[in-house]
Amino acid sequence: MRVTTMLPDLQFQIQQSNQALATATEQLSTGLRVNQLSDDPAASANMVDSMAESANVDQYSSNVSTLQSKLQAADSSLSSIVTSLTSAVSIGTSGANGTNSSTDRQMEASQVESLLTNIVSEANTNFQGAYIFAGSATASPAVASASTTYTSTLAPLSASTALTSGSVITVHDASTGQAMTFKAAPGDTIASLQSAISSAASAGVLSAGTTATINSAGQLQIATNDPHAGIVVSTDDPALGSMNVASETEVADAYVYLGNDAVNKVQVGDSLSVVANLPGSQFLTGTSGVIPALNGLIAALKSGTTDNIGNAVSAVSAALNNLDAVRVPVDNTLATLNSQETFLSQETITLTSRQDSLVGISTAEAASNLSNATLANNAVLAAAAKALPQTLLDYLK
Amino acid sequence: MSLTSSLSIATQSLFAATAEIQNTNNNIANANTPGYTREVADLYTAPSSSTSGINPGNGVVLAGFQSVRSGLLQTQIEQGTQAQGQANAELSSLQQIQTIFNSSTQDIGSEMSALFSSISSLSTQPTSSSAREAVLAAGGNLTAAFNNASTALQQQQSGLNTQVGQDVDQINSLAQQIAALNPQIAVSGSKDAGTLQDQQNQLIVNLSKLTGLSITRTNDGVTIATSNGSPLVVGSKSSALKAVTGSDGMAHIFDSAGNDITDSIQGGELGGTIQVRDTDISGMLQQLDTLASQLASAFNNAQASGYDQNGNAGANFFSIPSGTAGSAGAISMAISDPALIAASSDGSSGSNGNLANLSAIQNNPLPSGQTPTDSYASLVYQVGSLTANANSQSTATAASMAQLTDQWNSVSGVSVDEEASNLVQFQQSYEAAARVITTVQALFQVTMTMGTAAAE
Repeated sequence: MRVTTMLPDLQFQIQQSNQALATATEQLSTGLRVNQLSDDPAASANMVDSMAESANVDQYSSNVSTLQSKLQAADSSLSSIVTSLTSAVSIGTSGANGTNSSTDRQMEASQVESLLTNIVSEANTNFQGAYIFAGSATASPAVASASTTYTSTLAPLSASTALTSGSVITVHDASTGQAMTFKAAPGDTIASLQSAISSAASAGVLSAGTTATINSAGQLQIATNDPHAGIVVSTDDPALGSMNVASETEVADAYVYLGNDAVNKVQVGDSLSVVANLPGSQFLTGTSGVIPALNGLIAALKSGTTDNIGNAVSAVSAALNNLDAVRVPVDNTLATLNSQETFLSQETITLTSRQDSLVGISTAEAASNLSNATLANNAVLAAAAKALPQTLLDYLK
Repeated sequence: MSLTSSLSIATQSLFAATAEIQNTNNNIANANTPGYTREVADLYTAPSSSTSGINPGNGVVLAGFQSVRSGLLQTQIEQGTQAQGQANAELSSLQQIQTIFNSSTQDIGSEMSALFSSISSLSTQPTSSSAREAVLAAGGNLTAAFNNASTALQQQQSGLNTQVGQDVDQINSLAQQIAALNPQIAVSGSKDAGTLQDQQNQLIVNLSKLTGLSITRTNDGVTIATSNGSPLVVGSKSSALKAVTGSDGMAHIFDSAGNDITDSIQGGELGGTIQVRDTDISGMLQQLDTLASQLASAFNNAQASGYDQNGNAGANFFSIPSGTAGSAGAISMAISDPALIAASSDGSSGSNGNLANLSAIQNNPLPSGQTPTDSYASLVYQVGSLTANANSQSTATAASMAQLTDQWNSVSGVSVDEEASNLVQFQQSYEAAARVITTVQALFQVTMTMGTAAAE
């Protein structure tokens, strides 16, 4: 074949060699074999999925960490409650001893009262702005102390004062342990509320004798007539203002659970969700509830017979056993979180290593590629320099 | 046979040698002229004149100069140039496009992940206003990523649109020049038209860079049509193409008969540009719009199934247009108040039950059949593989053109070395012929002085 000039071929080869050199340099400086999608479309697509997995694993780890802190706070409060309950049992047991005098028993009652106060304070543990034992009603404390009488801030009101449609008024009753929620319909007035409260009292949701009236100051007054139990009232109706405790109407040792029984779950793995809270309804109130049991013991110590005290102590023991039982899932969750933590850090390593093998290049390999490309480039240039300038004309004189 | 005829033969030899030297000079001068095919002098022996049975030759005759070319190679180069033009146009555009989907920038894939992470984080503390703000911020970043990708693709389209107009203008100008040369070339009939043909061939190669062609050569010149058959050059007339903006905002190409040939153009820069503008980018925009629209609908439905912090049923999270088209460009946040995130499943403020529905969107197939992440991964694969294919096409056509160019040079290229050695050869011929003339002149002298005293 007639070869007229080497220039186009040399230019093509120099171009190729420069391209290889540029690629090798880029790979060494970025540590990546795939620097744009076209370098390896399949790997690039797989990376999208892999990076999404990595982001999920990172978030699960963060969730695990948050939950560990929260549940450890819960666990520590629960331990403290258990300690208090154990002391209450032992105080009650010694109080049931026939040799104690009435004065002794008063003293024991007040010891149990202060244990109850501690327990309520633990029940209202707040973690990062949320009351952790209130179920999902975490904006308000789980347990509130009850009073006999609540009055509205706005006055004068009357039975015909209209209520704001859609607004809610809630009455929790410490003795029945239940709550009545009234949601105002369009056209409802205070009279409608009064009749709702009456019905609730007849139905036993609220204590008999719980009423809603207009007092002499023109305020709406919601009250119970049982001086040993109490209520907690709240409302969001601007027509009433807010409902506040009337002064001097607090009832000692009377508490109401304001939370609900909702359980939140949190995902800490692709197919692993854990329970994230223990609602107070599972151990503070109800038939094996801590609060009613302690109230029973206080009352028995203050005025009861040995048998009464004995029964009250059994109720407190039952509440303690119930608490131990409902605590188990919390402990299990903590154990699960600990092992998930280990699993997730392993997953992170696995994913990172997979991503590296998809798109990465080792420094050693990249450096060696660069070295080869440089050598090749130098050779092409040297060859071109040697070959290009020669023509016959140089030799014909 | 006579001294005179010898003289005339030698004189013709001088002419021939001079002509060859001139031709060599011309070849050397044009060694780097693009499209120049080397010329060789067409010499033949003059017919002998018979004189009583003895037939001496009558010297050399210069018939003319002949360009050395291969029609087949020329055609192959034209076709190769069309393929290369298309591949290069596609590659340069796609290389810019693929940076939009690079995961090291804040692309759609990473922003989707970030949004789902923020939702999962909120599930551990559903009443935290900073966690809620983080979800809204992540949502805003995702809408921005969609908007940016859509805008960038549309900007590419608009740049390509301008390119179409420019290419059409160039095509028309080249077609005119080619047509103008046809009558001049036709004059030489079946003989090669030499440098005129070189010029026309070079113009045709330049035209091939721009669009796919169907080329027919006859003795009357060249007839050129676009690859779909619309005439460009017939005889001495050229037909112009027109680029007119259509109702879709894109430049459409019309041939001289008024037909819209935009979809039929293949090959060359114009073919590549239209392929990327109308098929590749349109496909990508459609996939983006579908993903944006379906993702937004899924979020809005999940919101509606829960309650916000005010106890109301969840409002729309994203706002999108009613059809799919334009969703990626128009998607935006529909809420800016963190309390409106519908985390709750029962109306209580601390419930996180509905967040599971929002999180589930990540792993559930959208109506298109793929999860959001997989949809995006498919798009990434498509863009990458279009670009990778264009890249290998570009490299392959470049290598093939290099090969063809070598072959063309082998046939038609000027070798300076060869011309230099020819120069030596022709110089010697000239000297030899001049020597013959000198000899004949001396013999004349001898003849003239034959039988005179001066001859002693």
